[in-house]
Amino acid sequence: MFSFVKAAVGGLTGICKAPGHQQGPLYNHLKVLAAGFKTYEIPPDYSDVVLPEKPKLKFMNKVPNLKRARKEMKKLRDIQGQAKAANAFTTGQYAIVAMGGGYLHWGHIEMMRLTVNRKMDSRTTFARWRINAPYKPITRKGLGQRMGGGKGAIDHYVTPVRYGRFIVEVGGKVELGEVEHILTEVAKKLPFPAKVMSRESLAALQKKQADMEQNNQNPWTFKMIAQGNMLGIRKAISPFDLHNHGRFTGKFHLPGRV
Amino acid sequence: MAATLCVKLLPKQGWLPLTQSVRHGSKAVTRHRKPVHILRQKLLAVTKYIPPTRVVPPGAYPSKPKEDNALMLLMKREVKKVFQDYKMIAAAQNNASNAEDMMTLKNRLHKHGITVKFFPNQVMRSFLKDSIYCNMAPLFIGPTVLIVSKEPKAREMLVALRSSPQMTLLGACIENTLLSADGVVSYSKMPSMTVVQGQLVSGLTMLTSYTASMLQRHPAHLSALLQQYVKQQSPDSSTEGAPKAEEAT
Repeated sequence: MFSFVKAAVGGLTGICKAPGHQQGPLYNHLKVLAAGFKTYEIPPDYSDVVLPEKPKLKFMNKVPNLKRARKEMKKLRDIQGQAKAANAFTTGQYAIVAMGGGYLHWGHIEMMRLTVNRKMDSRTTFARWRINAPYKPITRKGLGQRMGGGKGAIDHYVTPVRYGRFIVEVGGKVELGEVEHILTEVAKKLPFPAKVMSRESLAALQKKQADMEQNNQNPWTFKMIAQGNMLGIRKAISPFDLHNHGRFTGKFHLPGRV
Repeated sequence: MAATLCVKLLPKQGWLPLTQSVRHGSKAVTRHRKPVHILRQKLLAVTKYIPPTRVVPPGAYPSKPKEDNALMLLMKREVKKVFQDYKMIAAAQNNASNAEDMMTLKNRLHKHGITVKFFPNQVMRSFLKDSIYCNMAPLFIGPTVLIVSKEPKAREMLVALRSSPQMTLLGACIENTLLSADGVVSYSKMPSMTVVQGQLVSGLTMLTSYTASMLQRHPAHLSALLQQYVKQQSPDSSTEGAPKAEEAT
Protein backbone atom coordinates (compact mmCIF):
# COMPACT_ATOMS: atom_id res chain seq x y z
CA MET A 1 0.00 0.00 0.00
CA PHE A 2 2.73 2.38 1.08
CA SER A 3 4.86 1.48 -1.89
CA PHE A 4 1.92 2.10 -4.22
CA VAL A 5 1.46 5.61 -2.82
CA LYS A 6 5.17 6.20 -3.16
CA ALA A 7 5.04 5.06 -6.74
CA ALA A 8 2.12 7.35 -7.45
CA VAL A 9 3.94 10.33 -5.89
CA GLY A 10 7.05 9.39 -7.80
CA GLY A 11 5.01 9.22 -10.96
CA LEU A 12 3.62 12.67 -10.33
CA THR A 13 7.05 14.15 -9.72
CA GLY A 14 8.34 12.34 -12.76
CA ILE A 15 5.62 13.83 -14.89
CA CYS A 16 6.15 17.28 -13.46
CA LYS A 17 9.89 17.22 -14.10
CA ALA A 18 11.51 16.68 -17.43
CA PRO A 19 11.41 13.00 -18.38
CA GLY A 20 14.53 10.95 -18.61
CA HIS A 21 16.63 12.83 -16.06
CA GLN A 22 16.00 10.65 -13.02
CA GLN A 23 17.02 7.04 -12.91
CA GLY A 24 15.87 4.64 -10.23
CA PRO A 25 13.57 1.75 -9.49
CA LEU A 26 10.57 4.03 -9.25
CA TYR A 27 11.17 5.68 -12.59
CA ASN A 28 11.99 2.65 -14.65
CA HIS A 29 8.40 1.76 -15.40
CA LEU A 30 7.31 5.32 -16.00
CA LYS A 31 6.22 6.30 -19.44
CA VAL A 32 5.37 9.80 -20.44
CA LEU A 33 2.29 9.52 -22.53
CA ALA A 34 2.03 12.00 -25.32
CA ALA A 35 -1.39 12.73 -26.67
CA GLY A 36 -1.80 12.80 -30.42
CA PHE A 37 -4.07 11.97 -33.27
CA LYS A 38 -3.75 8.90 -35.37
CA THR A 39 -5.42 8.59 -38.71
CA TYR A 40 -6.51 5.05 -39.35
CA GLU A 41 -6.88 3.70 -42.84
CA ILE A 42 -10.37 2.89 -43.91
CA PRO A 43 -10.68 -0.92 -43.90
CA PRO A 44 -11.51 -2.52 -47.23
CA ASP A 45 -15.15 -3.12 -48.03
CA TYR A 46 -16.01 -6.82 -48.04
CA SER A 47 -19.76 -6.41 -48.31
CA ASP A 48 -19.89 -8.02 -51.77
CA VAL A 49 -17.76 -11.03 -50.82
CA VAL A 50 -19.77 -14.25 -50.64
CA LEU A 51 -18.10 -17.15 -48.91
CA PRO A 52 -18.87 -20.56 -50.45
CA GLU A 53 -20.39 -23.29 -48.34
CA LYS A 54 -17.22 -25.35 -48.27
CA PRO A 55 -14.35 -22.92 -48.02
CA LYS A 56 -11.56 -25.47 -47.79
CA LEU A 57 -9.57 -27.20 -50.50
CA LYS A 58 -11.10 -30.47 -51.60
CA PHE A 59 -9.34 -33.78 -51.48
CA MET A 60 -7.95 -34.89 -54.83
CA ASN A 61 -7.80 -38.44 -56.06
CA LYS A 62 -4.37 -39.95 -56.37
CA VAL A 63 -5.43 -42.03 -59.37
CA PRO A 64 -8.11 -41.05 -61.88
CA ASN A 65 -11.13 -43.27 -62.03
CA LEU A 66 -10.73 -44.75 -65.47
CA LYS A 67 -12.19 -47.92 -66.89
CA ARG A 68 -8.97 -48.84 -68.54
CA ALA A 69 -5.72 -47.06 -67.81
CA ARG A 70 -3.81 -46.31 -71.00
CA LYS A 71 -0.14 -45.64 -71.16
CA GLU A 72 0.67 -42.33 -72.75
CA MET A 73 3.66 -40.75 -74.35
CA LYS A 74 5.68 -38.10 -72.57
CA LYS A 75 3.93 -35.25 -74.37
CA LEU A 76 6.30 -32.55 -73.13
CA ARG A 77 4.19 -29.97 -74.88
CA ASP A 78 1.88 -29.84 -71.92
CA ILE A 79 4.48 -28.20 -69.72
CA GLN A 80 6.06 -26.01 -72.38
CA GLY A 81 5.11 -22.45 -73.05
CA GLN A 82 2.35 -20.39 -71.57
CA ALA A 83 -0.81 -21.63 -69.89
CA LYS A 84 -3.93 -21.21 -71.94
CA ALA A 85 -6.34 -22.19 -69.20
CA ALA A 86 -6.70 -21.05 -65.60
CA ASN A 87 -4.47 -18.03 -66.09
CA ALA A 88 -6.88 -15.41 -64.71
CA PHE A 89 -8.68 -14.85 -61.45
CA THR A 90 -12.23 -16.12 -61.05
CA THR A 91 -13.62 -15.61 -57.55
CA GLY A 92 -10.58 -15.16 -55.37
CA GLN A 93 -8.17 -12.29 -54.91
CA TYR A 94 -4.84 -14.00 -54.32
CA ALA A 95 -3.26 -16.99 -55.96
CA ILE A 96 -0.16 -19.10 -56.35
CA VAL A 97 0.97 -18.67 -59.92
CA ALA A 98 3.44 -20.97 -61.67
CA MET A 99 6.47 -19.12 -63.08
CA GLY A 100 7.65 -22.14 -65.06
CA GLY A 101 6.41 -25.48 -66.26
CA GLY A 102 6.46 -28.70 -64.30
CA TYR A 103 4.61 -31.67 -62.97
CA LEU A 104 2.65 -31.72 -59.74
CA HIS A 105 2.49 -35.03 -57.97
CA TRP A 106 -0.25 -36.13 -55.67
CA GLY A 107 2.15 -35.54 -52.75
CA HIS A 108 2.54 -31.86 -53.67
CA ILE A 109 -1.20 -31.50 -53.89
CA GLU A 110 -1.69 -33.11 -50.49
CA MET A 111 0.99 -30.89 -48.99
CA MET A 112 -0.74 -27.78 -50.34
CA ARG A 113 -4.16 -28.93 -49.24
CA LEU A 114 -3.09 -29.78 -45.70
CA THR A 115 -1.03 -26.63 -45.17
CA VAL A 116 -3.56 -24.21 -46.59
CA ASN A 117 -6.54 -25.84 -44.87
CA ARG A 118 -4.78 -25.96 -41.52
CA LYS A 119 -3.44 -22.41 -41.56
CA MET A 120 -6.19 -20.38 -43.14
CA ASP A 121 -9.12 -19.00 -41.22
CA SER A 122 -12.08 -20.80 -42.81
CA ARG A 123 -14.61 -18.34 -41.37
CA THR A 124 -13.24 -15.46 -43.42
CA THR A 125 -11.23 -17.15 -46.14
CA PHE A 126 -11.87 -19.67 -48.85
CA ALA A 127 -9.51 -21.54 -51.13
CA ARG A 128 -10.09 -23.10 -54.51
CA TRP A 129 -8.12 -25.48 -56.67
CA ARG A 130 -7.29 -24.19 -60.12
CA ILE A 131 -5.65 -27.45 -61.20
CA ASN A 132 -7.11 -30.80 -62.00
CA ALA A 133 -6.41 -33.97 -60.12
CA PRO A 134 -3.42 -35.95 -61.46
CA TYR A 135 -4.42 -37.38 -64.83
CA LYS A 136 -1.23 -37.88 -66.81
CA PRO A 137 0.18 -41.40 -66.39
CA ILE A 138 3.92 -41.80 -65.86
CA THR A 139 5.33 -45.23 -66.55
CA ARG A 140 8.29 -46.87 -64.89
CA LYS A 141 9.89 -50.19 -65.17
CA GLY A 142 9.90 -52.14 -61.99
CA LEU A 143 12.99 -52.42 -59.79
CA GLY A 144 15.47 -55.07 -60.85
CA GLN A 145 13.80 -55.57 -64.17
CA ARG A 146 15.94 -56.07 -67.22
CA MET A 147 15.78 -53.55 -70.02
CA GLY A 148 13.59 -54.32 -72.96
CA GLY A 149 10.28 -55.98 -73.07
CA GLY A 150 8.34 -52.90 -74.00
CA LYS A 151 7.03 -49.93 -72.10
CA GLY A 152 6.78 -50.19 -68.35
CA ALA A 153 3.68 -50.19 -66.25
CA ILE A 154 1.95 -47.02 -65.06
CA ASP A 155 3.67 -45.94 -61.86
CA HIS A 156 1.82 -42.79 -60.87
CA TYR A 157 -0.16 -39.89 -62.22
CA VAL A 158 0.84 -36.23 -62.38
CA THR A 159 -0.73 -32.89 -63.22
CA PRO A 160 1.18 -30.92 -65.87
CA VAL A 161 1.43 -27.20 -65.18
CA ARG A 162 2.54 -24.48 -67.57
CA TYR A 163 3.95 -21.03 -66.99
CA GLY A 164 1.29 -18.61 -65.73
CA ARG A 165 -1.10 -21.26 -64.48
CA PHE A 166 -2.88 -20.65 -61.20
CA ILE A 167 -2.50 -23.46 -58.70
CA VAL A 168 -4.57 -22.34 -55.72
CA GLU A 169 -6.82 -19.35 -55.53
CA VAL A 170 -7.62 -17.73 -52.18
CA GLY A 171 -10.24 -15.15 -51.45
CA GLY A 172 -12.72 -13.95 -48.89
CA LYS A 173 -12.67 -11.20 -46.31
CA VAL A 174 -8.89 -11.08 -46.03
CA GLU A 175 -6.04 -8.90 -47.10
CA LEU A 176 -2.93 -10.15 -48.79
CA GLY A 177 -0.83 -9.76 -45.65
CA GLU A 178 -2.99 -12.27 -43.81
CA VAL A 179 -2.60 -15.12 -46.30
CA GLU A 180 0.68 -14.30 -47.98
CA HIS A 181 2.85 -16.21 -45.51
CA ILE A 182 0.78 -19.38 -45.98
CA LEU A 183 0.90 -19.16 -49.73
CA THR A 184 4.63 -18.35 -49.94
CA GLU A 185 5.40 -21.23 -47.62
CA VAL A 186 3.52 -23.52 -50.01
CA ALA A 187 4.82 -21.90 -53.18
CA LYS A 188 8.46 -22.45 -52.39
CA LYS A 189 7.93 -26.20 -51.98
CA LEU A 190 6.52 -26.67 -55.45
CA PRO A 191 8.61 -28.39 -58.17
CA PHE A 192 8.68 -25.22 -60.32
CA PRO A 193 9.21 -21.53 -59.54
CA ALA A 194 5.95 -20.16 -58.20
CA LYS A 195 4.87 -16.79 -56.89
CA VAL A 196 2.05 -15.43 -54.77
CA MET A 197 0.08 -12.84 -56.70
CA SER A 198 -2.89 -10.65 -56.13
CA ARG A 199 -5.18 -9.27 -58.77
CA GLU A 200 -3.23 -5.99 -58.77
CA SER A 201 0.21 -7.53 -58.99
CA LEU A 202 -0.87 -9.80 -61.84
CA ALA A 203 -2.29 -6.83 -63.71
CA ALA A 204 0.93 -4.92 -63.05
CA LEU A 205 2.99 -7.81 -64.40
CA GLN A 206 0.89 -8.02 -67.55
CA LYS A 207 1.02 -4.28 -67.99
CA LYS A 208 4.79 -4.28 -67.61
CA GLN A 209 5.08 -6.93 -70.31
CA ALA A 210 2.76 -4.99 -72.60
CA ASP A 211 4.73 -1.79 -71.97
CA MET A 212 7.96 -3.55 -72.78
CA GLU A 213 6.51 -4.76 -76.05
CA GLN A 214 5.21 -1.28 -76.77
CA ASN A 215 8.38 0.63 -75.90
CA ASN A 216 11.01 -1.74 -77.19
CA GLN A 217 13.72 0.34 -78.86
CA ASN A 218 15.20 -2.67 -80.64
CA PRO A 219 14.01 -2.64 -84.24
CA TRP A 220 14.71 -6.37 -84.55
CA THR A 221 12.23 -8.55 -82.75
CA PHE A 222 12.33 -12.32 -82.37
CA LYS A 223 8.84 -12.59 -83.76
CA MET A 224 9.65 -10.75 -86.95
CA ILE A 225 12.87 -12.66 -87.60
CA ALA A 226 11.42 -16.07 -86.76
CA GLN A 227 8.20 -15.65 -88.68
CA GLY A 228 9.97 -14.10 -91.64
CA ASN A 229 12.59 -16.88 -91.58
CA MET A 230 15.37 -14.34 -92.01
CA LEU A 231 18.67 -15.89 -93.14
CA GLY A 232 17.00 -19.28 -92.85
CA ILE A 233 16.91 -19.07 -89.07
CA ARG A 234 14.03 -21.56 -88.93
CA LYS A 235 16.68 -24.23 -89.35
CA ALA A 236 17.99 -23.50 -85.85
CA ILE A 237 14.79 -22.65 -83.98
CA SER A 238 11.88 -24.88 -83.22
CA PRO A 239 8.25 -24.38 -84.23
CA PHE A 240 7.66 -23.85 -80.54
CA ASP A 241 9.64 -20.59 -80.83
CA LEU A 242 7.27 -19.35 -83.54
CA HIS A 243 4.51 -19.09 -80.97
CA ASN A 244 6.51 -18.05 -77.92
CA HIS A 245 8.93 -15.63 -79.60
CA GLY A 246 11.96 -16.81 -77.67
CA ARG A 247 10.41 -16.20 -74.27
CA PHE A 248 10.68 -19.88 -73.30
CA THR A 249 13.21 -22.63 -73.57
CA GLY A 250 11.23 -25.79 -72.98
CA LYS A 251 9.45 -25.46 -69.68
CA PHE A 252 11.67 -22.59 -68.54
CA HIS A 253 10.56 -19.00 -68.87
CA LEU A 254 13.18 -16.43 -69.82
CA PRO A 255 12.32 -13.26 -67.93
CA GLY A 256 12.90 -9.82 -69.41
CA ARG A 257 12.36 -10.85 -73.01
CA VAL A 258 9.82 -9.41 -75.37
CA MET B 1 20.00 -45.60 -98.84
CA ALA B 2 22.73 -43.38 -97.48
CA ALA B 3 25.29 -45.18 -99.60
CA THR B 4 23.32 -44.68 -102.74
CA LEU B 5 22.85 -41.00 -101.94
CA CYS B 6 26.56 -40.60 -101.37
CA VAL B 7 27.29 -42.28 -104.63
CA LYS B 8 24.87 -40.03 -106.40
CA LEU B 9 26.07 -36.80 -104.83
CA LEU B 10 29.77 -37.44 -104.61
CA PRO B 11 31.33 -38.71 -107.78
CA LYS B 12 34.72 -39.30 -106.07
CA GLN B 13 35.22 -42.97 -105.53
CA GLY B 14 36.88 -44.26 -102.40
CA TRP B 15 36.29 -41.02 -100.45
CA LEU B 16 35.30 -41.32 -96.85
CA PRO B 17 33.58 -38.39 -95.17
CA LEU B 18 35.82 -36.77 -92.56
CA THR B 19 32.99 -36.20 -90.17
CA GLN B 20 30.16 -38.56 -89.66
CA SER B 21 27.03 -37.36 -88.00
CA VAL B 22 25.89 -39.65 -85.23
CA ARG B 23 22.30 -39.55 -84.14
CA HIS B 24 21.80 -39.79 -80.42
CA GLY B 25 18.07 -39.68 -80.48
CA SER B 26 16.02 -36.90 -78.94
CA LYS B 27 16.49 -36.69 -75.23
CA ALA B 28 13.40 -35.78 -73.36
CA VAL B 29 15.19 -34.37 -70.39
CA THR B 30 13.34 -31.52 -68.81
CA ARG B 31 15.36 -31.16 -65.64
CA HIS B 32 17.82 -28.72 -67.09
CA ARG B 33 17.90 -26.35 -69.99
CA LYS B 34 18.89 -27.78 -73.30
CA PRO B 35 22.08 -26.35 -74.79
CA VAL B 36 21.05 -23.56 -77.11
CA HIS B 37 21.97 -23.64 -80.77
CA ILE B 38 24.58 -21.04 -81.64
CA LEU B 39 22.33 -19.37 -84.20
CA ARG B 40 19.51 -19.22 -81.68
CA GLN B 41 21.90 -17.76 -79.13
CA LYS B 42 22.85 -15.08 -81.63
CA LEU B 43 19.22 -14.45 -82.44
CA LEU B 44 18.39 -14.09 -78.75
CA ALA B 45 21.30 -11.71 -78.29
CA VAL B 46 20.28 -9.59 -81.29
CA THR B 47 16.64 -9.34 -80.28
CA LYS B 48 17.19 -8.34 -76.66
CA TYR B 49 14.83 -5.83 -75.16
CA ILE B 50 16.22 -2.31 -75.26
CA PRO B 51 14.44 0.03 -72.87
CA PRO B 52 13.60 3.54 -73.99
CA THR B 53 16.06 6.22 -72.94
CA ARG B 54 15.30 7.54 -69.51
CA VAL B 55 13.29 10.70 -69.37
CA VAL B 56 15.06 13.53 -67.56
CA PRO B 57 13.42 13.76 -64.14
CA PRO B 58 11.69 17.07 -63.37
CA GLY B 59 13.91 19.45 -61.46
CA ALA B 60 17.19 17.96 -62.70
CA TYR B 61 17.92 21.07 -64.72
CA PRO B 62 17.09 24.63 -63.71
CA SER B 63 13.88 25.73 -65.32
CA LYS B 64 14.00 28.28 -68.09
CA PRO B 65 12.94 31.81 -67.08
CA LYS B 66 9.31 32.13 -67.89
CA GLU B 67 8.06 34.77 -70.27
CA ASP B 68 6.21 37.53 -68.48
CA ASN B 69 2.57 37.80 -69.39
CA ALA B 70 0.99 40.99 -70.64
CA LEU B 71 -0.41 42.03 -67.26
CA MET B 72 2.97 41.71 -65.61
CA LEU B 73 4.59 43.78 -68.35
CA LEU B 74 1.96 46.46 -67.88
CA MET B 75 2.46 46.56 -64.12
CA LYS B 76 6.21 46.63 -64.61
CA ARG B 77 5.82 49.65 -66.82
CA GLU B 78 3.73 51.34 -64.13
CA VAL B 79 6.37 50.62 -61.50
CA LYS B 80 9.00 52.09 -63.77
CA LYS B 81 6.88 55.20 -64.17
CA VAL B 82 6.46 55.46 -60.39
CA PHE B 83 10.20 55.30 -59.85
CA GLN B 84 10.72 57.96 -62.53
CA ASP B 85 8.05 60.40 -61.39
CA TYR B 86 8.11 60.24 -57.64
CA LYS B 87 10.90 61.52 -55.45
CA MET B 88 9.99 59.66 -52.30
CA ILE B 89 9.22 55.94 -52.53
CA ALA B 90 8.81 54.18 -49.21
CA ALA B 91 8.15 50.48 -48.69
CA ALA B 92 5.93 49.59 -45.74
CA GLN B 93 4.77 46.22 -44.48
CA ASN B 94 1.05 45.80 -44.31
CA ASN B 95 0.23 43.73 -41.22
CA ALA B 96 -3.38 42.67 -41.60
CA SER B 97 -4.85 46.13 -41.86
CA ASN B 98 -8.47 46.07 -42.81
CA ALA B 99 -10.16 48.25 -45.38
CA GLU B 100 -11.15 50.88 -42.85
CA ASP B 101 -7.62 51.36 -41.53
CA MET B 102 -6.31 51.56 -45.04
CA MET B 103 -8.95 54.10 -45.95
CA THR B 104 -8.07 56.37 -43.01
CA LEU B 105 -4.38 56.05 -43.72
CA LYS B 106 -4.90 56.89 -47.38
CA ASN B 107 -6.99 59.85 -46.39
CA ARG B 108 -4.35 61.16 -43.99
CA LEU B 109 -1.60 60.71 -46.53
CA HIS B 110 -3.66 62.25 -49.30
CA LYS B 111 -3.82 65.55 -47.39
CA HIS B 112 -0.09 65.90 -48.01
CA GLY B 113 -0.25 64.65 -51.58
CA ILE B 114 1.13 61.22 -50.70
CA THR B 115 -0.44 58.16 -52.30
CA VAL B 116 -0.42 54.47 -51.45
CA LYS B 117 0.23 52.04 -54.28
CA PHE B 118 -0.02 48.28 -54.41
CA PHE B 119 2.15 46.15 -56.65
CA PRO B 120 2.72 42.40 -56.56
CA ASN B 121 6.08 41.50 -55.09
CA GLN B 122 6.90 39.43 -58.14
CA VAL B 123 6.54 42.47 -60.35
CA MET B 124 8.53 44.64 -57.96
CA ARG B 125 11.37 42.15 -57.75
CA SER B 126 11.52 41.59 -61.47
CA PHE B 127 11.64 45.37 -61.95
CA LEU B 128 14.23 45.96 -59.23
CA LYS B 129 16.45 43.11 -60.39
CA ASP B 130 17.74 45.01 -63.39
CA SER B 131 17.42 48.59 -62.21
CA ILE B 132 19.69 50.87 -60.18
CA TYR B 133 17.42 50.37 -57.16
CA CYS B 134 18.30 46.68 -56.94
CA ASN B 135 19.36 47.05 -53.28
CA MET B 136 15.72 47.67 -52.41
CA ALA B 137 14.73 44.17 -53.48
CA PRO B 138 15.06 42.54 -50.01
CA LEU B 139 12.33 44.84 -48.70
CA PHE B 140 9.69 43.26 -50.88
CA ILE B 141 8.83 40.12 -48.96
CA GLY B 142 5.35 39.43 -47.69
CA PRO B 143 2.49 41.93 -47.90
CA THR B 144 4.12 45.18 -48.89
CA VAL B 145 2.75 48.53 -50.00
CA LEU B 146 4.43 51.47 -51.66
CA ILE B 147 3.94 54.96 -50.24
CA VAL B 148 4.93 57.48 -52.86
CA SER B 149 4.89 61.24 -53.19
CA LYS B 150 6.24 63.76 -55.64
CA GLU B 151 7.83 65.84 -52.89
CA PRO B 152 10.09 64.30 -50.24
CA LYS B 153 7.67 64.63 -47.32
CA ALA B 154 9.18 62.20 -44.87
CA ARG B 155 7.94 63.94 -41.75
CA GLU B 156 4.30 63.96 -42.83
CA MET B 157 4.52 60.35 -43.85
CA LEU B 158 6.00 59.34 -40.51
CA VAL B 159 3.29 61.23 -38.64
CA ALA B 160 0.60 59.50 -40.64
CA LEU B 161 2.21 56.09 -40.19
CA ARG B 162 2.61 56.56 -36.45
CA SER B 163 -1.15 56.71 -36.03
CA SER B 164 -1.68 53.43 -37.89
CA PRO B 165 0.11 50.59 -36.08
CA GLN B 166 -0.65 48.06 -38.83
CA MET B 167 1.84 49.61 -41.19
CA THR B 168 5.54 49.23 -40.51
CA LEU B 169 8.00 51.31 -42.45
CA LEU B 170 10.73 49.14 -43.90
CA GLY B 171 12.81 51.56 -45.90
CA ALA B 172 12.60 54.27 -48.46
CA CYS B 173 14.24 55.71 -51.50
CA ILE B 174 14.17 59.51 -51.15
CA GLU B 175 15.68 61.56 -53.95
CA ASN B 176 17.57 58.55 -55.28
CA THR B 177 19.05 57.76 -51.86
CA LEU B 178 18.26 54.49 -50.20
CA LEU B 179 17.39 54.95 -46.54
CA SER B 180 16.52 52.52 -43.79
CA ALA B 181 13.62 53.14 -41.40
CA ASP B 182 15.97 54.92 -38.95
CA GLY B 183 17.48 56.80 -41.82
CA VAL B 184 14.05 58.10 -42.78
CA VAL B 185 13.48 59.27 -39.20
CA SER B 186 16.78 61.14 -39.11
CA TYR B 187 16.07 62.53 -42.57
CA SER B 188 12.74 63.90 -41.34
CA LYS B 189 14.47 65.64 -38.44
CA MET B 190 16.73 67.53 -40.81
CA PRO B 191 15.69 71.09 -41.70
CA SER B 192 14.39 71.66 -45.17
CA MET B 193 16.63 72.40 -48.11
CA THR B 194 15.75 76.10 -48.37
CA VAL B 195 16.54 76.66 -44.69
CA VAL B 196 19.94 74.99 -45.03
CA GLN B 197 20.69 76.93 -48.16
CA GLY B 198 19.70 80.17 -46.37
CA GLN B 199 21.96 79.33 -43.48
CA LEU B 200 24.85 78.65 -45.84
CA VAL B 201 24.29 81.89 -47.73
CA SER B 202 23.95 83.88 -44.54
CA GLY B 203 27.15 82.36 -43.16
CA LEU B 204 29.06 83.25 -46.30
CA THR B 205 27.68 86.80 -46.43
CA MET B 206 28.41 87.32 -42.74
CA LEU B 207 32.14 86.66 -43.26
CA THR B 208 32.39 89.06 -46.20
CA SER B 209 30.40 91.73 -44.39
CA TYR B 210 32.68 91.36 -41.36
CA THR B 211 35.77 91.84 -43.57
CA ALA B 212 34.14 94.86 -45.20
CA SER B 213 33.27 96.40 -41.84
CA MET B 214 36.86 95.85 -40.68
CA LEU B 215 38.15 97.62 -43.75
CA GLN B 216 35.78 100.53 -43.18
CA ARG B 217 37.21 101.27 -39.70
CA HIS B 218 39.72 104.09 -39.01
CA PRO B 219 43.19 103.52 -40.55
CA ALA B 220 44.88 104.16 -37.16
CA HIS B 221 42.94 101.26 -35.68
CA LEU B 222 44.02 99.08 -38.58
CA SER B 223 47.68 100.05 -38.20
CA ALA B 224 47.51 99.34 -34.45
CA LEU B 225 46.11 95.89 -35.21
CA LEU B 226 48.83 95.19 -37.75
CA GLN B 227 51.48 96.30 -35.28
CA GLN B 228 50.02 93.97 -32.72
CA TYR B 229 50.08 91.17 -35.28
CA VAL B 230 53.77 91.79 -36.08
CA LYS B 231 54.52 91.78 -32.37
CA GLN B 232 52.81 88.45 -31.94
CA GLN B 233 54.71 86.92 -34.84
CA SER B 234 58.15 87.93 -33.40
CA PRO B 235 59.43 85.04 -31.20
CA ASP B 236 60.72 86.96 -28.09
CA SER B 237 57.51 88.82 -27.38
CA SER B 238 55.06 86.04 -28.10
CA THR B 239 54.30 85.34 -24.42
CA GLU B 240 53.49 88.96 -23.57
CA GLY B 241 51.82 89.70 -26.89
CA ALA B 242 49.27 86.94 -26.86
CA PRO B 243 46.96 88.25 -24.12
CA LYS B 244 47.16 91.71 -25.59
CA ALA B 245 46.23 90.48 -28.97
CA GLU B 246 43.21 88.74 -27.51
CA GLU B 247 42.17 91.93 -25.83
CA ALA B 248 42.61 93.83 -29.09
CA THR B 249 40.41 91.49 -31.09
